[in-house]
Amino acid sequence: MARERNARTGRRPRGVVAATAFFCALFLVPHLLDDAWVAVFTLVLFFAFVGQAWNLMMGHVGLLSLGHALFLGIGGYATALLLGDYGISPWIGIPAGAVVAAVVGVGIAWLGFRFSVRGVYFALLTIAFAEFFRILFSNWPLIGGTGGYFLRVVPEDNVPLLSLRGGADHFYYVFFVLFVAGVALSARLVRGRIGMFWSAIREDEEAARALGVKSFRLKVLAVAVSAAMTACGGGAFALMNGSLFPNTLMGMQMSIQIILAPIIGGLGTLFGPFVGAVFVVLVLEFSRDLGQTAGVYGLSTLIYGLTVLGVILYMPEGIWPHLVRLARPLRRDR
Amino acid sequence: MTRNPALDRRTILKGAAAGAALSITPLRHVRAAGAPVKVGVLLPTSGVLAFLGQACRRGIDLGARMMAESGAPAMEILHVDTESKAEQGRVAAEKLIREGCSVLIGAFDSGTTISAAQAAEAAKVPLVVNIAAAPQITSQGFQYVFRNFPPGATLVYNAVARIKELSSLTGVAPKTAVLMHVNDTFGHAVAKGVDILWQKLGVPIEIVDTISYSRSAKDLSVEIGRAKAAEPDILMPVTRVNDAILIVRELVKQNVGLLGVIGPGSPGPYEKAFTDATGKYGDEYMDCVPWYDPTRDKTKRAIAAFADDYPDQRFELNVGFSYEAVEIVADAIARAGTGEPQALQAALRETNLQDHIMYGGPITFDETGQNTNIGGVLLQNQGGAPQVIGPAEIAVAKPVFPMTPFAER
Repeated sequence: MARERNARTGRRPRGVVAATAFFCALFLVPHLLDDAWVAVFTLVLFFAFVGQAWNLMMGHVGLLSLGHALFLGIGGYATALLLGDYGISPWIGIPAGAVVAAVVGVGIAWLGFRFSVRGVYFALLTIAFAEFFRILFSNWPLIGGTGGYFLRVVPEDNVPLLSLRGGADHFYYVFFVLFVAGVALSARLVRGRIGMFWSAIREDEEAARALGVKSFRLKVLAVAVSAAMTACGGGAFALMNGSLFPNTLMGMQMSIQIILAPIIGGLGTLFGPFVGAVFVVLVLEFSRDLGQTAGVYGLSTLIYGLTVLGVILYMPEGIWPHLVRLARPLRRDR
Repeated sequence: MTRNPALDRRTILKGAAAGAALSITPLRHVRAAGAPVKVGVLLPTSGVLAFLGQACRRGIDLGARMMAESGAPAMEILHVDTESKAEQGRVAAEKLIREGCSVLIGAFDSGTTISAAQAAEAAKVPLVVNIAAAPQITSQGFQYVFRNFPPGATLVYNAVARIKELSSLTGVAPKTAVLMHVNDTFGHAVAKGVDILWQKLGVPIEIVDTISYSRSAKDLSVEIGRAKAAEPDILMPVTRVNDAILIVRELVKQNVGLLGVIGPGSPGPYEKAFTDATGKYGDEYMDCVPWYDPTRDKTKRAIAAFADDYPDQRFELNVGFSYEAVEIVADAIARAGTGEPQALQAALRETNLQDHIMYGGPITFDETGQNTNIGGVLLQNQGGAPQVIGPAEIAVAKPVFPMTPFAER
């Protein structure tokens, strides 16, 4: 167990101390930086959180989803519709969206695994469902269709803690809580019995089944948890943006954006999605400023593409595992 | 064990201390008295909307230059690219507010505009919307949002009204029409609006078919074939620039006989990319959009200055409305006599710009922040460029209707 003290030294494990320090530092971001940087780091936490959710499926179970924006959309629309049309608090709306997304995820997973759809074919199935729902939402007048769904402006007497809507700092902490909860849940699942089974399925599903691992149920569970987490992120994202459009929230581009952070940060690691999100968002941010200064349109995209290419070439396993490897000599010195 | 010289504990601690020192340095700019008022502009100058975002930027830069030349209060324009991503609206707005901007202009795309508006509202910094058509932008209760662009419904209303006037303008009365629209947010909204207003305004033209097509369509032969089969007098395509080109090429290929092609509030046909690509076949294509008033001296001066700055570009509605946004801001600064955001918001509420470049009445904002005096014109491409053919009081060319058959050009 992580909480146990080291038997020899009587100290808490170094990882727990480092993680606590890291979360404390994250907590202090709004106190140290201005609103613009807080808004940037809010996006970092958003992509880290949904990347964490996606990573549960791909990194830990080996299930490639290329349609994760579907769950983001379900969570976003559920939260926004309940709030906008019925005045139901996001405290209920976000979990409701998570439940709906989990049910949809279970449906897709059941359908896929029931007919032994695997690998790239499962990825295609996720794309197909995401596109199906995107088109469905685009043609659903009740939710605004392609014209989008808009939330009313936050009233003067708004209580951020109740409405979950507010300024830059408020949204930062909303995503901070989600991210911490996501890491905690992922750690709990991955480092427990379920995580071992998931690893076994990822490495060799046939062998795992031969040993009695109930792969079907466990894979469905992974999809359900991942979908629910992503939907929570979608709900908070909708509150932050104030408007939802099927094409932008549920489109292929968003699905790609979701998976970039965990892939660049390190698949199958707890902190990879965060490191990847920092990299992805900050590189874009700095390159955008550079492009703006140089007056060259699209320079940011070029710089971003080259940087991602560099990471893939020189750190194929991801940035986080690479950093861990770099830090090892330091540890051995002590 | 050998130590890693590049990464020992002291180095890390020094780096952390330096980082912490940097991060607690106050970054919010203080507005200095007498300094130029900082105006933040957020536009999609890269990404899928880059083409249009860059056109807007040209309008902003031209507006800033001409305001400076006309002796308006000093302004410093700060640009931020939203990369055509809605979530970047808030980040871009926060960044510009941090840089000390007293007022923002943007953001072209409705989602990005709403996202930016929330940040502006929280910081109590006014946002002047140059372009964005979603009606919700001015119906959600924002106090700091001012839009000088018609919401979708007004856009369509003006377009349908112009089409209705067409027979009195030309003496030719079309009986039937086919409505075609791109299957995206804008296309759907316009098609729906046309449907409603057609009945409401009693347009004496029967819409015999409505055809939608994919936003990413590379071939429209089937759709044009279906439209041809309906034998309409006029074709009404709601397009972007690329599909407008595809439609013309297909009409020529299938030699479709029509009295006219009229876009109801459709972007695309007035773009330089369209007239360059379609040449003589793009001529006589009509469009009903908000447009500049070509008869005003102010407009003529702006167009001449634009031609000097951007000889290879066209002065169109994206440029015009962006130019006007700068003009609105300059006017508010002059009347407020200060660069304080609250004072600028109050001044913007009282805006009453009589002499401006886009067609319509004086620029004023109602209680929702919407300018309700924006008109719509009937354009027709003639000689490879869009010309105003209606309403009569600002027309600079005579309409060619029925259009010349493609085979005879």
